[in-house]
Amino acid sequence: MAEIPVVTAETVTVDVNGMTYEREVEARRLLIHFLRDDLDLTGSHVGCDTGNCGACSVIVDGILVKSCMLLAVQADGAKIETVEALAEEEQLSPLQQAFSDHHALQCGYCTPGMLMSATALLRENPRPSDEEIARAIQGNICRCTGYWNIFKAVKAASGQEVAE
Amino acid sequence: MLLSEVGYARPATLEQALGVLAHYPGARALAGGQTLINVMKARAAAPDVLVDLAGIPALKGIELGPDGTLELGPMITYTELIGSAEARARPILGQVCAQIADVQVRNKGTIGGNVCSSDPTNHLPPLLVALGAVFTVTGATGERAVPAEEFFLGVYMTAAGPGELLTKITVPAGRSDGFASVPIGVDGTCIVNAAATVNGGVRVALGCVAATPVVVEAPSTDPAAVRAAVREAALEPPSDVHASTDYRRHLAEVVAARAVEQAERGA
Amino acid sequence: MTEPTTVAEPIVVEEAETKRGYAGQSVPRKEDKRLVQGEGVFFDDVKRHNMGYVHFVRSPYAHAKLRSVDVSKALEHPGVLGTLTGDEVALLTDPFFQISSPPGAHLRDFCLAVGKARFVGEPVAAVVATTRETARDASELVEVDYEPLPALTDAREALVDDAPLLHDEAGTNLTWEGVYEWGDLDAAFAEADRVVKISELHFDRFNSTPLECNGALVEFNRGTGQWTIITNNQFPGFAAIMMGPAMRVGLDKLRFVTQDIGGGFGNKITSHPQLVACCLLARKLNRPVQWTEWRTDFHLSMSHGNERWFQDTEVAVKEDGTLLGFRTTALDDAGAWLRYEPLGGVIWAQVTPGMYRWRHIRLDFKQVTTNKAPVSPNRGYSRMQHLWFTERVIDIVAQELGLDPVEVRKRNYIRAEEMPYETPNGCVYDSGDYAKMLDLALELVGHGGLEEKRADAESRGKLLGVGIGSTLDSGTNNFGQSRLINPELQFSGNNEVATVKLDIFGEIVVTLGTTPQGQSHETTAAQVVADILGCSVDDVNVRAGHDSYWNSHAGFSGTYASQFAVTGLGAVKGATDMLAVEMKKLASVVLGCTPDDIELAEGFARMRENHEAALPFMALGAIINANNAGLPEDLDVTLNCRYVYRPPFQPPDVERKFGNLTLTYAAQVHVAVVEVDPETGVYEIVDYAAVDDCGKRINPQVVEGQVMGATAQAIGAATHETFTYDEDGNLLTPNFYDYHVPHALDMPPLKTGNIESPSPFTSMGTKGMGEGGGAGIHAVCAALQDALRPRGNPIVYDSSNPYHRVWELLSDPESSRQRVTVESR
Repeated sequence: MAEIPVVTAETVTVDVNGMTYEREVEARRLLIHFLRDDLDLTGSHVGCDTGNCGACSVIVDGILVKSCMLLAVQADGAKIETVEALAEEEQLSPLQQAFSDHHALQCGYCTPGMLMSATALLRENPRPSDEEIARAIQGNICRCTGYWNIFKAVKAASGQEVAE
Repeated sequence: MLLSEVGYARPATLEQALGVLAHYPGARALAGGQTLINVMKARAAAPDVLVDLAGIPALKGIELGPDGTLELGPMITYTELIGSAEARARPILGQVCAQIADVQVRNKGTIGGNVCSSDPTNHLPPLLVALGAVFTVTGATGERAVPAEEFFLGVYMTAAGPGELLTKITVPAGRSDGFASVPIGVDGTCIVNAAATVNGGVRVALGCVAATPVVVEAPSTDPAAVRAAVREAALEPPSDVHASTDYRRHLAEVVAARAVEQAERGA
Repeated sequence: MTEPTTVAEPIVVEEAETKRGYAGQSVPRKEDKRLVQGEGVFFDDVKRHNMGYVHFVRSPYAHAKLRSVDVSKALEHPGVLGTLTGDEVALLTDPFFQISSPPGAHLRDFCLAVGKARFVGEPVAAVVATTRETARDASELVEVDYEPLPALTDAREALVDDAPLLHDEAGTNLTWEGVYEWGDLDAAFAEADRVVKISELHFDRFNSTPLECNGALVEFNRGTGQWTIITNNQFPGFAAIMMGPAMRVGLDKLRFVTQDIGGGFGNKITSHPQLVACCLLARKLNRPVQWTEWRTDFHLSMSHGNERWFQDTEVAVKEDGTLLGFRTTALDDAGAWLRYEPLGGVIWAQVTPGMYRWRHIRLDFKQVTTNKAPVSPNRGYSRMQHLWFTERVIDIVAQELGLDPVEVRKRNYIRAEEMPYETPNGCVYDSGDYAKMLDLALELVGHGGLEEKRADAESRGKLLGVGIGSTLDSGTNNFGQSRLINPELQFSGNNEVATVKLDIFGEIVVTLGTTPQGQSHETTAAQVVADILGCSVDDVNVRAGHDSYWNSHAGFSGTYASQFAVTGLGAVKGATDMLAVEMKKLASVVLGCTPDDIELAEGFARMRENHEAALPFMALGAIINANNAGLPEDLDVTLNCRYVYRPPFQPPDVERKFGNLTLTYAAQVHVAVVEVDPETGVYEIVDYAAVDDCGKRINPQVVEGQVMGATAQAIGAATHETFTYDEDGNLLTPNFYDYHVPHALDMPPLKTGNIESPSPFTSMGTKGMGEGGGAGIHAVCAALQDALRPRGNPIVYDSSNPYHRVWELLSDPESSRQRVTVESR
């Protein structure tokens, strides 16, 4: 006899970017679809179906994760940060500004995930080396830039000098 | 990309988890989800219930015994293991975990998940076989200890059967270890990998060459001897888009020798 | 002809009262603010009340008869709103127009498989449901009775007697063939000292895998009969021409709306079959329908790059390395359908001689259908394959004759002083200095110290190699080249449209017909407008994306084929010049002078001789839009200007296959340095230089970004990216797990250089660029061949060189060498 409930749907409560949401959700719903389709937070993107591309990267309880490999129900009670949290009242963060300054985005589809990975890095390692930057975004695929300008942008955002 | 309907359980104790697993034959343990969720997206497997192990304290934790034995909870993430002071007692563990995929995967993926998915290209099965780890499997009837070499039964199949969970990984003391691989791109999926330890004897475990790790004992650390020992194992590796049977067989010799060389340097 | 300069200088004017121009400056992008905040609008971000989600049922067989498709169980599933099958489609629509002449003309291509499935992943039915998951679940209830047939997976087998036949209506797998011959081959081979013969080279199948896949949200308006297609299709002009006739509706019934697109690279041109299916469903179900193409769907079915075999190549060459000519057969594997093909059968001819001066060329182009995903344009479309072939030939000839590949190139490159240069088939290369670019690239990787680098690598047990990849980015197509494919076609020239208006409060608003996917059109358009109108880029509002409702498009509108800097910006310049003329006319009326007395500067229309007599833009806008009583009756000023840019093309000579096929020729020369581990075949790119020349650069940072992106994709294609099939027609790399694209840690160090050879044929001296012509593939192949020379001189014969292929070259160099023979005359 199972002592604990097994549910195919439940109500989850999440704090996303400082706002609390309560929604009924199927157990099978991926967190990325919950964010995009149920909460209308379309900044995080879907780029693959095997957890390889990182376009869905968000920060959950302070940890950088790919939200396509997490169920929404697993995030019940969690504090989630997405790209929509980075700017303050339309004022771009230094990291966002650095991405623009260094042309670290072209189509912009991988950018939200990149920014979250870079945010997670800089919180833990405020002055990363070039190699540490590359490692930090190893899980984020970009097809437009070749990554080189992204390395520069993150380096610049950390206040370090960038070789141009 | 989209999962079939599934039930979800959130046990707070090991007993509760085992209870659900026993009650639902199609239930599967959900560890980090970095493999299982993708398998479910592809609908290559469709468990009817997912038992989320994240809320069970007994499955986490790392303990270093006075004799240097490490007891690892299966729900430790790669990131946690890499950052663990205790785990540095056997440095190869953190070194290998740091080669797995990327930050996001390492933050959620667990060592238990790596081991229980028993994907032939995974890093930890050959590593733990080489190190002579012992897996504690717990079920309704109690606990049993399974040597790593006996734990892996096939692709996605392990000695932790229906209604059972891997609850501990015990790694003996030692330091002279090595790991070598040929990944597709840096930190990519392995085409071949090999783990070696030279703590008395030369023990190599090869990954990617069969459904489960293949153990090879070499008479010495001499690269030629290691390669000869691999050849004697008469491997029949799979052929796929990344490597033919012959190429994998050849690479297995090379990574075995390199893993032994690394192990020797650490000795 | 202006001298090419080594470094782009922004236009700086010394006088205090005149502003610096924006052209040539790396102006910050307007697109960035929304994109870095996650506020871009990609098609999947858009929601409509009651929308249904589409899931396509796809064939698991590479080749099979469809005996029946039964959707009844799916329809019973809770949440399912409706379905679409091939039988319905065959009644509701006509087959898509075929570009090809017969036999390709006879293909009957619908938006779902009708009667037969011809590749794994081909859509055979569609299910629409209230949620994404339900549509996916219900699709498993669709029962399709397949009768599997033998599959054809190797183009080289397509023409053997018992080869599986894909299209009965064509009667053959050889759906298009063309023979191209210019110069005097017999004379060239008679004059040759040596003839180098290469039995077979292979350009592999891959594509650019934009991170966002295809998709759409389609609404149908029953009252007007119009569909609104919110999508990321990057060539709405082409989509409309394909969809309208098939759906038996006028093109104005198809409104295409795009805003932000997550990469295109050509792979979002042929989504029209799925768009038709969505249109039919939106009409049938009377609700908006949404289709998201998943990664696996994309890999299985969408826009593979042309796979091409170069067979029986013969090269006529002099002892000193002067190349006289070549002949070859290009066998093109088009996959199961011809959707943009067979245009690839002529588009390569834009760069017939590559960057080289040989005049005697024959190419037999044979395109065949196979049971694989249909090919359609992929970054570098068809030129890349040909340029790779050309570069392979150069390197193989150099190696076999014992010549330095640098010297062979310099001996044979078209020279700067020969520009504009007419190629053997009448294309005109506008400008360029290839030898100078090569020198710059070699310098950037320290080519002078090559031997030390080689020795150092050897001391670490590695083989070092250096390779050159030179390539052309031909841009702004003359669609008249389609007549070389099919003389019946009524397409020629090219166009792009822009509108610029000055609104009531002085706002400048620009609309484009293009569909940018990261190419910074909003920014560069604003730069051009600001320079002409004498205002700030911040004053110029460029609407994001494309919307048919703006009526700012023409038959060829879209973003593809390396042309925006010429066509799009040409349209912007044309419209802005018109607006400037009108502004001056109006200002002259108000200020009581002649239009020639007026200048536009610092946001004003003012008298040149008296800056106090000035009207702000707002004044002009207000007069025309709201306060126009008392203006002269004959004053022809609207302040809302639309311009259709038209490049100066003639229809080509179909008989001789002769004529100018593209307006501009940007160039790139890359040098790659690799280190190979001879024990494993694993290799690393340890240094890399990319030098580009795209004429006048409006925004250097944008140009460099394109060069970098193309380089990264080429590196991916050269190393691990491949769409490889097994013999049953299953794609072995259907997702990013198996199809390994470069990640951050895979990137080599990159050095870049630039020269500017303005084009004499464009209004601003710009050349289209962006595709990059696969230079990285050519360079890596060459570097590998150089690295492996000490191990038996194997020949790199495939564009794709994952570790296993390098291993094969190391283990058995003789096998690859058997492809090459050298005859002395």
